[in-house]
Amino acid sequence: MTRKKVKLAFITNDSARKATFKKRKKGLMKKVSELSTLCGIDACAIIYSPYDTSPEVWPNTMGAQRVLAEFKRMPEMEQSKKMVNQESFIRQRIAKASEQLKKQSKENREKEMTEVMYQGLTGKGLQNLNLGDLNDLGWVIDQNLKEVYKRIEAVKKGSSTSSSSSVAAAAAAAVAAAAATSQSVAPPMEQKPAVMELGLDPMQRTQTEWFTDWMNSNTSDQHIGYGHADEMILPNFNDNHNANVWPNNFYP
Amino acid sequence: MTRRISKGRQRVEMVKMKNASNLQVTFSKRRAGLFKKASELCTLCGAEIAIVVFSPGDKVFSFGHPSVDTLVERFLGRDLPPPNNDVHNQLIVAHREAGIRELNTKLMNLEEVLQMEKNRGESLQEIRRRANGQWWESPIEELNLFQLQHLKEALERLEQKVEKVAQQQKMVNNHAFPFHTLGSAWTPPNCARESSSYGLNVGAPFANRAIGSTSSIVPNY
Repeated sequence: MTRKKVKLAFITNDSARKATFKKRKKGLMKKVSELSTLCGIDACAIIYSPYDTSPEVWPNTMGAQRVLAEFKRMPEMEQSKKMVNQESFIRQRIAKASEQLKKQSKENREKEMTEVMYQGLTGKGLQNLNLGDLNDLGWVIDQNLKEVYKRIEAVKKGSSTSSSSSVAAAAAAAVAAAAATSQSVAPPMEQKPAVMELGLDPMQRTQTEWFTDWMNSNTSDQHIGYGHADEMILPNFNDNHNANVWPNNFYP
Repeated sequence: MTRRISKGRQRVEMVKMKNASNLQVTFSKRRAGLFKKASELCTLCGAEIAIVVFSPGDKVFSFGHPSVDTLVERFLGRDLPPPNNDVHNQLIVAHREAGIRELNTKLMNLEEVLQMEKNRGESLQEIRRRANGQWWESPIEELNLFQLQHLKEALERLEQKVEKVAQQQKMVNNHAFPFHTLGSAWTPPNCARESSSYGLNVGAPFANRAIGSTSSIVPNY
């Protein structure tokens, strides 16, 4: 069965319209039947077409009369509460689609700005953004900051567990080790065991060593040449960079 | 948000469903689908249809075009078929049909735009998935205190930078357009929006760039 998108408008071609009517009417009847069976509920469908004075009915005339009698027995308010015609039904669908669109757009915008934020953290410029973008970007940064603050508090509180306290200790040790020394080969080696305790995988470990060192060597001769200090907020750890830029000291 | 991989369309046995909550869900979905099909049949072929459905909770749902009541009356034989077809009546019908056409068009366009946004969402997801991320892009739970503190500082610095750039932009705008015109008819086209709502941003700068194209901001992974 070919799935061409059908335009929701009256089919002007007579034969096409008649063929469509036949198929879709059959399908509709099938759907009512399925709904009734699967959910164990009463239902009826009445279809008047321009091709017939008598309507086509599901399940049959008697069955439909019975259902309609049941329907009519209900209080007027109950009958009309969930009653729709074409107009109201389409309006409902429009409302729902609008809601979904609003939600999806917002999600997409957030995702987009998150990417921009990550780019911003590596020092990429914010020139191409207009005020609206900057506003949204600021919002996303703010959301992330809130989460980071929360997480920091949580980690600090959870210092009762041994792992996080050793993390803090190891981190402190790493920073202390780096700060206490000037450029020399020995300290980096001492640093490594401490960093290992941070439970990072090899890639993260080396990146963190780098990061530690970068953070502590802003004014020292160990200037790696990443560009202006106020442009680079976080160094860009990229596999390509590692090869050229890491001084040999760090690679045994 | 974890996405459960659905098994796709499955054959359903034509018996009353066992699980009550599944049954309710099925009812809701299928009822909506049924009404949609009926609505389409009316529009496409000019049919007049009434459907009455009782819910598992004994509420009643009904769809009718032109209206449930007139069709039910007609069916039960309480008024003379065929309904009167004079000029006045024809005008009413024509007017109503035109209104419905308009609504359908609006709905179709909306669904198209929605689909585009969904596609855009998928692309963004792909970018994130394929991104060879830095350590700070990992979920917050995976970062240690050391990293968290560095990230905090970096984000704060970035936030300040954003503020700075925004101020600069506002200055430029005020210089070029000394009168507060943003948001009024005097605003030149393509002028920066003073503030953005976090809602519909289909016309936003990023939205205009196809994902994966050479954008200077979103990298090409």
